[in-house]
Amino acid sequence: MSNCAVEVKNMTKVFSRGLKKSDYVVAVDNLSFEIGAGEVYGLIGPNGSGKSTTMKVALGLMAPTTGSVKVFGFDSGDIRARNEIGFLPENPYFYKHLTGAETLKFYGKLCGFSGGELKDRISELLELVELEGAAKRRLGGYSKGMLQRIGLAQALIQRPRLVILDEPTAGVDPLGSRQIRDLILKLKEDGITVFLCSHLLEQVQEVCDRVGIIFEGRMRREGPLAELIQINEQTSMTFAGAKPHFLAKVRDLIEAESEVTIVDEGHPKTTLERLFISLSQSEQEEEEK
Amino acid sequence: MVIASSSVTQLVRMKTFYFLLAFAAIIVVLMSLNPPTTPAGVLSTIKRISFGTMDIFAWLFAIVSTALLIPKDIEDRTLYTILSKPVRRIEYLIGKLLGVLFVIAVSLAVMYGICALALFSRESLYIAEELGAMQAGAQYSTEEVEAQIALIQQQGLRVELGIAVLASFLKAAVVASVTIFLSTFASSSLFSIIISVLIFIIGHAHTMATSFWLYQTDNNLLVELLLKCVKIFIPNYQLYSFSHGIIQGEAVAYPLVWQMTGLTGVYLVVFIFLSLLVFIDKEF
Ligand SMILES: Nc1ncnc2c1ncn2[C@@H]1O[C@H](COP(=O)(O)OP(=O)(O)OP(=O)(O)O)[C@@H](O)[C@H]1O
Ligand SMILES: [Mg+2]
Repeated sequence: MSNCAVEVKNMTKVFSRGLKKSDYVVAVDNLSFEIGAGEVYGLIGPNGSGKSTTMKVALGLMAPTTGSVKVFGFDSGDIRARNEIGFLPENPYFYKHLTGAETLKFYGKLCGFSGGELKDRISELLELVELEGAAKRRLGGYSKGMLQRIGLAQALIQRPRLVILDEPTAGVDPLGSRQIRDLILKLKEDGITVFLCSHLLEQVQEVCDRVGIIFEGRMRREGPLAELIQINEQTSMTFAGAKPHFLAKVRDLIEAESEVTIVDEGHPKTTLERLFISLSQSEQEEEEK
Repeated sequence: MVIASSSVTQLVRMKTFYFLLAFAAIIVVLMSLNPPTTPAGVLSTIKRISFGTMDIFAWLFAIVSTALLIPKDIEDRTLYTILSKPVRRIEYLIGKLLGVLFVIAVSLAVMYGICALALFSRESLYIAEELGAMQAGAQYSTEEVEAQIALIQQQGLRVELGIAVLASFLKAAVVASVTIFLSTFASSSLFSIIISVLIFIIGHAHTMATSFWLYQTDNNLLVELLLKCVKIFIPNYQLYSFSHGIIQGEAVAYPLVWQMTGLTGVYLVVFIFLSLLVFIDKEF
């Protein structure tokens, strides 16, 4: 299939633990799914369910025990597949002795870039992840959010068509993870396929087109996000400026219909996250004044 | 090559070059001593100590830095990001090796430079002194004067000393490739350091060990096999020992040099190949 970015077919990965043959873990169990080109795909599941393992197999860092993973038609172990993939591992660490810009230069050179082209790409990426100010500092002094963003920049250095992100927002504050989310949406606009996994379900919900729910290495539910979370038989309305007598009229109207019932009524609440973001934004604005 | 240069920066920023300062300090101390020996004796002492230090530096650095580099990449998970770029695993391994060798080569060159400078200045000083002293009395024939100067020159700065440096370097290269091989499957740096040092020691007793076993048991198959293993898997570090002679001012046996260079190549190829066998299917 030509419009398929990642194709996982009956993939099983078994780890042996210890020397005994009987002592093994099935990390991924006969997993199959596809990610279409240009899609944002989210894999969610509890700790140890095999998300990172699936990603590592897709990157050719591990070989599947059985089954196969294809990336843009190439076998995942193929070096040509890796030309198309950018990867951000979970809790990334880079060489602490390098500065931000040097880190990007190093990874750029690994991908065969050099000279002015590489330089332009580096400043472009530093701007994208908003780290221009920290470009000359060593990574040893970076905060977790900054590391995550330099990691993202590093993943994008060779303009890959697929980006694999393992928990891109783990340990990042809400503002930072909003930045990362915006970046993912920007990537999607540019037609780049994104394959990510996360525990933060709200964020998955905000960015992903399709979601797979994995449990003990097996796919439990999979499909377009909208379909997965829609409650078809209910409809919600939110009013602004509704006076009590208007609400009474609405209630009368509903009571007149026999098959309609009110499930929930009250003031919609802002989420803690939105509150946090609006507070820190107003804080920033005051500082700027 | 990118990996090589990055390993170089890594090692440089790990401040390994302080060792060079220590080396320079040793030479300076040696120079300032006023030993009660002949001029030739002083020169020979300077050479013995400085070349000894260079040799120790080369192999020790080869073991420690190689053993640290790869496990550190795995531990820090930098290896994930490196190998998920279009980088072949052999490129990674050879890059690391070249990085270490480059640092060793530069350090050796700098140390040799310092040492040569020291030797040269002392040598010309002694020759001038000797000439002055001998000509002042006018009781020595030209032949006698020349013989005396030749004696000093023999212990002074000579081109052949470069071959001793080369021997140290080649030895370090083999040590580094052995260590790389060990660190592809060892789980800790300490393990690879210890085993590599052990191999280093056994490798120095190569001929002794082999002949010992040969005479001990005639037909024991197991021992014979063990012996073969030792012969194949433990490099003969004695190959490089002839450089002691060079340092003492003896003539260079060129066949030995060629043999050393050739065998070094063979060892390097074998150990890189073995490392690759382990590393290519390794999972992270
Ligand atoms: N190298 C390994 N050797 C042995 N077992 C492993 C290895 N890597 C992972 N496992 C096991 O495989 C299972 C799946 O691990 P994996 O890292 O894929 O989970 P995950 O979904 O990413 O979890 P988390 O949310 O905690 O990151 C776990 O039970 C883990 O113990
Ligand atoms: Mg994980």
